Order: sequence, then C-alpha cells, then structure tokens
Amino acid sequence: MPKDTSADSISLLSKNVRIEGEIQGPENLHVEGYLKGAVQLSGDIFIGNTGIVEADVEAKNIVIQGEVNGNVKAHQQLEIHPTGKLVGDCTAASIDIKEGAVFEGRSNMIKSSGTAAGSSSNSTSSRGPQIRKQPQPE
Amino acid sequence: MPLFGKKKKETKAERPQVAVSQNETSYFGKNLRIKGRVSGNGNVIILGGLDGEFNLRGRVKVAQSAKIKGEVKADVISVNGSVKGSLAAKDRIHLDQTARVEGQITTPKLTISEGASFDGEISMNDRSSKPTGTRKTDSALEPPSTTAPTKKIDDR
Repeated sequence: MPKDTSADSISLLSKNVRIEGEIQGPENLHVEGYLKGAVQLSGDIFIGNTGIVEADVEAKNIVIQGEVNGNVKAHQQLEIHPTGKLVGDCTAASIDIKEGAVFEGRSNMIKSSGTAAGSSSNSTSSRGPQIRKQPQPE
Repeated sequence: MPLFGKKKKETKAERPQVAVSQNETSYFGKNLRIKGRVSGNGNVIILGGLDGEFNLRGRVKVAQSAKIKGEVKADVISVNGSVKGSLAAKDRIHLDQTARVEGQITTPKLTISEGASFDGEISMNDRSSKPTGTRKTDSALEPPSTTAPTKKIDDR
C-alpha cells in the first residue's frame, strides 16, 4: 500500500457545500462544510470552525475545531481545539484535548501504527522499566 | 521515522491559517473517492472519483484525472475528465479537449472542444435559460432547505 505517498494535497469541503455519503482515499481533507456518512482516509482530516461532521471518521491525524457527531479513529493523534466538539467515542494513539473543548463519549487508546514494531522488544527487557517508544512532538 | 515527526509539526502550524482564508471553492483531490451526494452553494473542482450526484449552485470543474459516475447539476459545468451519466447546467457546459462524456447533456449553451469525446444525447431547450419558467427543473436543482442555518454558523 503506497500510504506514505499520500499527504501532498489537501482537499477542501467549503462552507456552503455538503456531502452525504462515503469518502475515502489517501488524501488530506479540510472540512468547513457539512459532511454526513462515513470518512476513511489514510491522510489527515481537519474539521474547521464552520465544519460539521456527522459521520464515523477514520484518519491518520484528526483535528477538530468544529463539530463531530460520530465515532472517530485516529491512527496517530486526535486533537480537539477549544472551539471543537466531539460527541462519540474516540480511538487514538495520542489525544490532545484543549481547554474549552467538548468531548462526550468513551476514549480508547491504541498503539501508534508507526511504532508498533517497538512494542515487541519490551518483553525481552524485563529488568528495567518499560520504555514506551511513542513519538512526542513537543 | 524522523521525517514523519517534522511533517506533523509543520501541518499543525499551518492549518489555522488555512482556516482563516475563507476559500469558497471546494477542492476534491485526485486520491479522494466520494460515494454519495454533494450539494450546496459554491464552486467545486474535482480531481478524484465521484459515484453519485453533484447538485450545486455554482461552477463545477471536472479535472482531467476525475472520474464521475452519476449526475452533475450546476450553473456552469466544465469537463476535462470523464463522466458517465448526465450533465445538466442552468447556464452553460463546456467539454474540453480531454473530456470523455457518456450520457445526457442538458444545457442552454454548450461548447465542445476539438478532441473531446461525447457519446450520448444533447437537449438544449430555451426554457431552461429562464429558471423561473420551469418549475420542474427548478425544484430538482434546488438544494434541500435544511442548509439554511449556515448564517448562524458564520457568526461564530
């Protein structure tokens, strides 16, 4: 799967446009409009201030500034900004929820797909504390 | 993967700026596949795949890499890619050199460039140029009224 060749363009769903249906593909998507259905991307999804998403969303990184009603799954990071609202369950490798953000639902952590290989080495190093190889961009 | 981390930081910093510049033209990249219905007000450029329906007040541009199966309804439609289905414009339709269209075209004004391929029917009735006269087509082109609260959202 040529997943890494994906993230070169950003698709935009502008404010007064709505999509009802399924969206998928190796793309980045910026939503300022209305989206209903299902979203499955191997790129990132950014839901802007005016964006409303009523769908289950799966993407690499998910950034929410607008509203999401549905279950989200981020293979890497989920970010909910102060203006953001998520009603639904989330699954992510890393979560960043800012002050003021709304999140109603359950949260479930997964291992980042990029660092999955590092977890197997933990079983051999039983002496010391386990070292988590999670990427920390800060 | 050190490259990956870098990219992540960059996108984080850039994105809020993208949100500020209110771009009215929607853009669907070439790797994006949409199944379903796209409606509303605004211009759209599509480079990817659509299986379903466009129903827009505005311009639709079907780029060379785009593949559409279904219906396209808009004010102005310009085609460089491939469309299987029907095209209906209130104002005009243009098929460019690289266009591949199979199906039905309904428009008051039409241009087809040399090299374009078109297999199907054309209907150009004069009534459709004045949208108030044709009730039937008008209601079909009208996006659902549920899109009304866009103004409220705008205030935020």
